[in-house]
Amino acid sequence: MTESEQEIEGQVRYPQAPDAGAAGDPQPWGEKTRVVGSRQPRVDAFERVSGSAIFPSDVMLPGMLHAAVLTSPHANARVKSVDTSKAEKLSGVYAVISRNTEDANPDWDYGSDYPGKLFYDHCRFEGDFVAAVAADSSYRAHDALRAIEVEYETLPFVSDELAALESGAPEVHDGGNEAGHQSYSRGNIEQGFAAADVVLEETYRSASEMQTPLEPHGCVARWEADRLTVWESTQGVFAVQSKIAETLNMPLARVRVIGHYVGGAFGSKLRTDKYAIAAAMLSRRSNRPVKLFMTREQTLVSMGNRPPTTMTIKAGAKKDGTLTAIQFKGIGASGAYKAGGTSLLDWLAKDLYQCDNVSTELTDVYINAQPARPFRAPGYVQCSWAMEQMMDALAEQLDMDPVALRLLNIPDGTQARGNKPYTTDGLRLCIEQGAKAFGWDQAKAAPRGNGHLQRGVGMAAANWFVGDGGPPSTVILRLYADGTANLNMGASDIGTGTKTVMAMVVAEEFGMEPDAVQIEHADTATTQFATPSGGSKTVPTEAPAVRRACLAAKDRLMDMAARQLGRERDEIIFAGDRLRTADGLESLAIPELDELKKQKVVVGVGERQPNRQDVSITPFAAQFCEVEVNRRTGEIRLLRMLGTNESGRVINRLTWDGQVIGGITMGVGYATTEQRVLDGPTGKLCNRNWHDYKLPTALDVPAEIISEPIMLSDEQANIVGAKGLGEPVTIPTGGAIANAVYAATGIRMRDTPINPVTLIDPLASQEG
Amino acid sequence: MFTPFAYIQPGSVEDVVTALGDKNAFIHAGGTDLLGCLRDDVFSADKLVSLSGLKDISGVSETSDGGLVIGALTTITDVAEHPLIQRKYAGLAQAAADVASPQLRNQGTLGGNLCQKPRCWYYRGDFDCLRKGGYKCFAVNGENEYHCIMGGANCFIVHPSDPAPALVALDAEVAIVGPGGRRRLPVSELHMPPEKDPTRETVLQDAEVITAIHLPPAAAGRYSSYRKIRTRRSWDFAVAGCALAFDMEGDQVRDCRVVLAAAAPVPWRSREAEEVLRGNTLNDGNIRAAARAAVADARPMSNNAYKIPLFEGLLREEFGKIVSA
Repeated sequence: MTESEQEIEGQVRYPQAPDAGAAGDPQPWGEKTRVVGSRQPRVDAFERVSGSAIFPSDVMLPGMLHAAVLTSPHANARVKSVDTSKAEKLSGVYAVISRNTEDANPDWDYGSDYPGKLFYDHCRFEGDFVAAVAADSSYRAHDALRAIEVEYETLPFVSDELAALESGAPEVHDGGNEAGHQSYSRGNIEQGFAAADVVLEETYRSASEMQTPLEPHGCVARWEADRLTVWESTQGVFAVQSKIAETLNMPLARVRVIGHYVGGAFGSKLRTDKYAIAAAMLSRRSNRPVKLFMTREQTLVSMGNRPPTTMTIKAGAKKDGTLTAIQFKGIGASGAYKAGGTSLLDWLAKDLYQCDNVSTELTDVYINAQPARPFRAPGYVQCSWAMEQMMDALAEQLDMDPVALRLLNIPDGTQARGNKPYTTDGLRLCIEQGAKAFGWDQAKAAPRGNGHLQRGVGMAAANWFVGDGGPPSTVILRLYADGTANLNMGASDIGTGTKTVMAMVVAEEFGMEPDAVQIEHADTATTQFATPSGGSKTVPTEAPAVRRACLAAKDRLMDMAARQLGRERDEIIFAGDRLRTADGLESLAIPELDELKKQKVVVGVGERQPNRQDVSITPFAAQFCEVEVNRRTGEIRLLRMLGTNESGRVINRLTWDGQVIGGITMGVGYATTEQRVLDGPTGKLCNRNWHDYKLPTALDVPAEIISEPIMLSDEQANIVGAKGLGEPVTIPTGGAIANAVYAATGIRMRDTPINPVTLIDPLASQEG
Repeated sequence: MFTPFAYIQPGSVEDVVTALGDKNAFIHAGGTDLLGCLRDDVFSADKLVSLSGLKDISGVSETSDGGLVIGALTTITDVAEHPLIQRKYAGLAQAAADVASPQLRNQGTLGGNLCQKPRCWYYRGDFDCLRKGGYKCFAVNGENEYHCIMGGANCFIVHPSDPAPALVALDAEVAIVGPGGRRRLPVSELHMPPEKDPTRETVLQDAEVITAIHLPPAAAGRYSSYRKIRTRRSWDFAVAGCALAFDMEGDQVRDCRVVLAAAAPVPWRSREAEEVLRGNTLNDGNIRAAARAAVADARPMSNNAYKIPLFEGLLREEFGKIVSA
């Protein structure tokens, strides 16, 4: 039970949603919308394509210096000494900071578990900061790094999460390598297995995957007296602001963070990192603006990963397909500091399908590698790999169709979050509509093929934990005398099309084109607080606030119209881009309002209201995949994929489809090409560039990816009817591909990734 | 980041050779590999000697005996797309088309491709490995899934080139200019086995430069092909590959070359497979026997035994295509 739930008279009750605010709870848009639901190119498409968009890494300031960071090359080492004297003497070098510069070495903790410093004397992972320099060119900064002499004492390390739990393993921190332990149960797991006709148990492994955004992690820092401005590539400017203020012991009001564009993040830029502090320190010491972006290699070594995960799942079902028990054990690696190594890892096991008897156990592990960071649907992507392959295996054992087995076990609500009903039947809709659009029955019945090229189809389904959004969010809309608008919001557009969606909401309300809306966003000095853009919650958080801001401004315009026309306020109706009287006799365009002409602007403020607490607002997804496997070489070709999503109202079909295609592409990488490789003997990262760390290319994703949205508006979710999409689109991909490979080959691939290197041995064993 | 270096652009091959005599000088052709090595501190250069000032070192032309000569500075794209190469030396065109990515093929040159450095992540990374003058090969006890299963000795790289095995299969030669004058060398003898010298990729002497690649006339009935398997379908090096050149009479193999890519530190001619097939019928039994013979002497490392069934399956598939061609 959560804190907001109260038990009254033996029954769980939920507090009522608060009053919906000054503008009243507005009517839903309904089925007929003018702009919402259409395909709108991004409002900043030209800027992005032409290169005129200024990303943080593009920022150039007068007198700006370039910084570079020296990081530990060892998996675990004590820093005995740092000699920066040669680097300091180099021409063009303005500042060098390290543990020797005490006034530039503030406290820093990666999690809350173990304290440290910006430049700490114990680097528990490769890539931790040792020194930083600022010089008048990037080349000179790197020359200076080469001139720094560091003496390390290398220490025993452990880089495998299973080895870390063995007795006698080197300890990342004193006191053992277990970073956390969680368990959950409902019903009676033994009785559940006893009631089953079929029980299966399998262990799956999911390799660590790296976020690898195109724009590296970093920022530009500039001081003006005691005020600091930081341009950072981030998912949340306010999160960066608070971390910098806390670390540097500064008032929030004196730290300004701007992040108008971000060249990819995928969860790895939800928070800032040591680079922002180092940039601020270098800037203060050199009295110049400083640009500090990590190198590509450094982003791979230390700027985030999806934790490597080992999952054992045991599931039981009756002959008719009813699930009777699910037992899930997951081990995941946080890295050298506690960082969510098993975050959300068991949720699909305990919440995707109807099952009365469930137990889960999660063990988070310290290893000598960079701390994990949230990566698009953390935990869910890994769990789906295990859970959805297990469902496929159960279906085969039960001689049932995998689609039919899933449809038989659809829950009415969330079972692990207080038995609240779902607001939609989204899971069923996704599976049924997806199967139909994909032609599942025909594809499944089709022959595998002759010879060594064999085809197969597979599918997987998902829900997503967040995706509902919620407070806080405050948005300000300024409507100008000419009828154009300026929308002011704190949220970042991390490339998903947030700005475009918000412009469409404004355009819908005022009968204008999205092009008439200018957006000011992601600047802590000039926009209102917003949480970081993550968790697929940006649209359901911000769009309702935007709509409320519009409604507040419309309310004032209607007041003006009533006064101007000498009518009662309730006689005025907003219709398209005009204000008219209910009797239809008189109407005014916005620029014809006399008061607006005089005061030049009307301001509407919108706040995100709390969600209903008596329901679970959850997005759903299903994906279908057809593969062809070359039995001689282990090559797999993804012939086609289809993604169905129920995330409430589709606001922009174009960016919706972009999310689906991008999410599937990312899932293809997870399932077939990507894996972090840490060198066994040294613990160092082997694949630290974009050749060795293999993101999928255009030739690796299917030529045919179809996005099939479930067209509905989730009116119980919020006043725009939309839920989150960006993560559900990537959760089922891996499982769907693995299941299709099984259908084609009869080989159950339990470890990511599936490619010739991993598939050829089981294929060869089958040949005998 | 680069350390500082001098850059010159001579106008004649002779001047290039002279300039290469300077300390720590490197040739800059397409630069796709060189600049990466310099940026990643794999090695540093005091001087780069550009070939872009040379005339008559790129392009494809027929020779009087019916062969081809390809200038060393010809881009990989031009090799892949040249109609004569596609028609008479299909294996080379296919190998070129499988190189890297479109951008890299547009920039990279055939001569440079033959002389490229290995992609071993220990060699490229922050490891003091044998090939860089260090004390050991880190792949031996490390992450060696992409390393060699034949010809390893002391260093266990695989040769990264796709065109090189195809050129070996086609009996090509390189034309070399150096301080000692001009010479020709079969491509099959160009690459340095690590047991002879693990710090060099080719047998080129100091200040020698490849100026052209010569292809002998193709026999009538010649079948040639290149096939590459990788973990992603573009911008990736082979985990297994094979270049074939077969002279057929009906279903009889008159003569053949079977050259493996990503099997060994050098393009690896499988005389064992050739022996099974030469003079014999290309039937299923011989195909299986030849594929097996090719990997019979493989000595896999801890993580790359998968390459044995992979090469076997690959060769079976590719030999089978000759029959249906």
